Amino acid sequence: MRIVACLFLAGGAWAQQIAIEADTLYTQGPAGTIRNGVVLIDNGKVVAAGAATQMQIPNGYQHLRAKVATPGFIDTKTSVGLSGIHNVAADQDQDEATDPNTADVRALDSFNPREPLLDYVRSFGVTTVQSGPGPINPIAGQAGIFKTAGSHGAASADQMAIRAYSAMLFNLGEQPKQAYGPKNKAPATRMATAELIRKALLDAQVYRHKWQEWETSEKKDASKQPARDLKLEALARVTQGEVPAIFTAHREDDIATAIRIAQEFQLKAMLSQATEGYLARDLIRKSGMTVLVGPAMQRLEGLQTENASLENAALLADAGVPIAFTSGFEGYVPKNRVILFEAAVAAANGLGAERTMRALTIDAAKILGIADRVGSLEVGKDADVVLFDGDPFEYTSHVEAVLVNGELSYQRKH
Amino acid sequence: MRKCGAAVAISLVLVGVAEAQSRLVVLRGARIHPVSGPVIERGVLIVENGKITAVGAVGAVPIPAGATVEDASGKVIIPALVDTHSHIGIGPRPSVPANNDINEGTGPIQPALRALDAIYPADPGIRLAQAGGVATANIMPGSGNVIGGQTAYVKLRGSTIEEMLIPGALGGMKMANGENPKGYGTRGLAPATRMAEAALARRTLIRAQEYKRKRDEYDQAKAAGKADAKPPERDLELEPLVEVLEGKRIVQHHTHRADDIMTVLRLADEFHFRVVIQHGTEAWKIADELARRKIPCSVIIIDSPGGKLEAMDYNPEGAAILERAGVKVAIHTDDNIVNSRFLIREAAIAVRGGMTEAGALRALTLNAAEMLDLGSRTGSLEPGKDADFVVLSGPPFSVYTKVLATYIEGKKVFDRSRPEDLRYATGGWDVSGRYPKLGGAQ
Repeated sequence: MRIVACLFLAGGAWAQQIAIEADTLYTQGPAGTIRNGVVLIDNGKVVAAGAATQMQIPNGYQHLRAKVATPGFIDTKTSVGLSGIHNVAADQDQDEATDPNTADVRALDSFNPREPLLDYVRSFGVTTVQSGPGPINPIAGQAGIFKTAGSHGAASADQMAIRAYSAMLFNLGEQPKQAYGPKNKAPATRMATAELIRKALLDAQVYRHKWQEWETSEKKDASKQPARDLKLEALARVTQGEVPAIFTAHREDDIATAIRIAQEFQLKAMLSQATEGYLARDLIRKSGMTVLVGPAMQRLEGLQTENASLENAALLADAGVPIAFTSGFEGYVPKNRVILFEAAVAAANGLGAERTMRALTIDAAKILGIADRVGSLEVGKDADVVLFDGDPFEYTSHVEAVLVNGELSYQRKH
Repeated sequence: MRKCGAAVAISLVLVGVAEAQSRLVVLRGARIHPVSGPVIERGVLIVENGKITAVGAVGAVPIPAGATVEDASGKVIIPALVDTHSHIGIGPRPSVPANNDINEGTGPIQPALRALDAIYPADPGIRLAQAGGVATANIMPGSGNVIGGQTAYVKLRGSTIEEMLIPGALGGMKMANGENPKGYGTRGLAPATRMAEAALARRTLIRAQEYKRKRDEYDQAKAAGKADAKPPERDLELEPLVEVLEGKRIVQHHTHRADDIMTVLRLADEFHFRVVIQHGTEAWKIADELARRKIPCSVIIIDSPGGKLEAMDYNPEGAAILERAGVKVAIHTDDNIVNSRFLIREAAIAVRGGMTEAGALRALTLNAAEMLDLGSRTGSLEPGKDADFVVLSGPPFSVYTKVLATYIEGKKVFDRSRPEDLRYATGGWDVSGRYPKLGGAQ
């Protein structure tokens, strides 16, 4: 029943006009899910999406057919591109474990556009990732949002970035103290992790205040201009609410710590992983925080992931907590989780297909503030599309093709 | 810890209750995959005293008088899974050093070690495996050593390792090559290279050959009535290796890269041992060679390649390539690399990669049992075999299918309808009382 036609790309591989015809088209926009739907793509953007009966496919368009088409999936937090497939020092650029506060490091400066794992996750429909530093540092640094493929034959981190500094990443729980404690360096306890973060946020507020004073001073005396501090500058944008803070926390009490700090500094904050989120769901709902739900199939290491539940996503969503999916971080084999697989498990364990598809696409886009570009197949948005030969969540279905910015960037070999 | 104890006590009571009812078990109406034969659309499975006594179509199999018949209509029954490569109970949950007994990293040659001396029967990992439909497992030492030790072939039942062990099953011998044993190199010890790994294995096996020769000589002298014949001194390292040389104990060999697999075959040729290729990440590259030599291959199906160099060329289509080449394939967890609850899922991913559904099911069951020399007692649903089976809510390879019950020798060891069991299927077993009532989505 495979009905994806081979696509013969004539001429340049980009700036194509492509018509996707799908038995079931998940637009994830106001048009909803359409039986026998068509998406028209021109110059990397969606130019039309609707029912086949109400649309005419213009001449010159290449045709792609599939049973199911969906918007590209969004992995809301990962280190893919920074943490390479080989897992050797040469390709591990995610954890600057030399200082517990690395607020000034930028994913952009580690992101390797040629990382094979980017190709791998793209082959499972992931077209956008928020990628950033790993799980070690209490203040880990700046995440960016990237497409998983370049366009027009080029691929650089700058070109693939939708946003260079999309979030400041914080880590609570086991990993920071396990990295620094044995080196006789703080943090050796959860207390110190929290203190370190609070102190830095406080310093950022003071720093911001100094700059504001200088900027609003009449003379703007150059000799009194505060010295630039890259860490505090980055953190000040967080304390100002310009950039969200993402707290990775697994255990219920670590989640509570994240909420405590976020409220103290009135941060625009989200939780990532939240392995025990289902236990803290009422607390989370009251805090108004979003949860980037971690992989339920993550390897259960240490104590903090012991209570991982396949129903976490469903229980959080049922409690009214906004959710999206993150592939988290894996330090060994397998090197990466795939959010399509994790979403499928969530779908089958209480979340259901509709909510799961939203969390993978439009909800994730809204949560990351990039819904003007991605997350649904609507006119004017990036043509990021995934084609399936069956139920996207079934283990035995295949991703037949993936388009990023209207370019065919993965096609299954038959 | 106290909480764990309570959970175990509860489960023991329930096992006791189940035992009283286990003499005669009849399930009727399910779609049955016997694996050893064609699928039965509406079948009957009859179990007496822990053994399968009949399996066939509804109407074609007489149901013993007085039997309580459980209606299994709409459900699917498959043989319980056999995991040829697991570390449950020895690689602990939670993963803390106090309970971790997986790698004796004090020397690369450890044939005297027995996994059974370290397996913790109350470890939650064992209950997770039951929740995933696993009945039989080969629990092994880790892959940090060239010769890791004696593996334990167990059924996931009982509260002591003695109850878990399968009577008459010797277990395997864990060996490893490639990246992991080279860990000694970072400490300035051998092996620091693949060359030394092979040399260490060969040196040790040559010692075992010599020991075997002395033992054989003694046996012959004794048989010839020589009163002064003296047995060689007992050697705990070499005794189990003699069993390897005699083909009684299968070498379960961790190996990833194609050239490392060929090194294993080179050793097997030299010492004539029986071997199962474990992991075989690059086995697909030499599928024809493995098929020609009839080398069985137990593979792991993971979510992504990488994490170590020898896992770089992991291929989701690898199991399918091996199947098509005619290699006997099993699928394992290497728990905790893959959580045992997701063993069936691994096979589903293999199907996505092109394996036949029948082949994937066989890889989880009969092929795996055969790789442990247990094919005559488990791995398929046939009269006379142990009644090890799983009741599923739907097709084996659908994401929406749940394991409803796992039976070992006719006793239900996992029952999704019991809240305390459900926590192992969904996760959250350690917060039992606080787990939201919402659990158990269809």
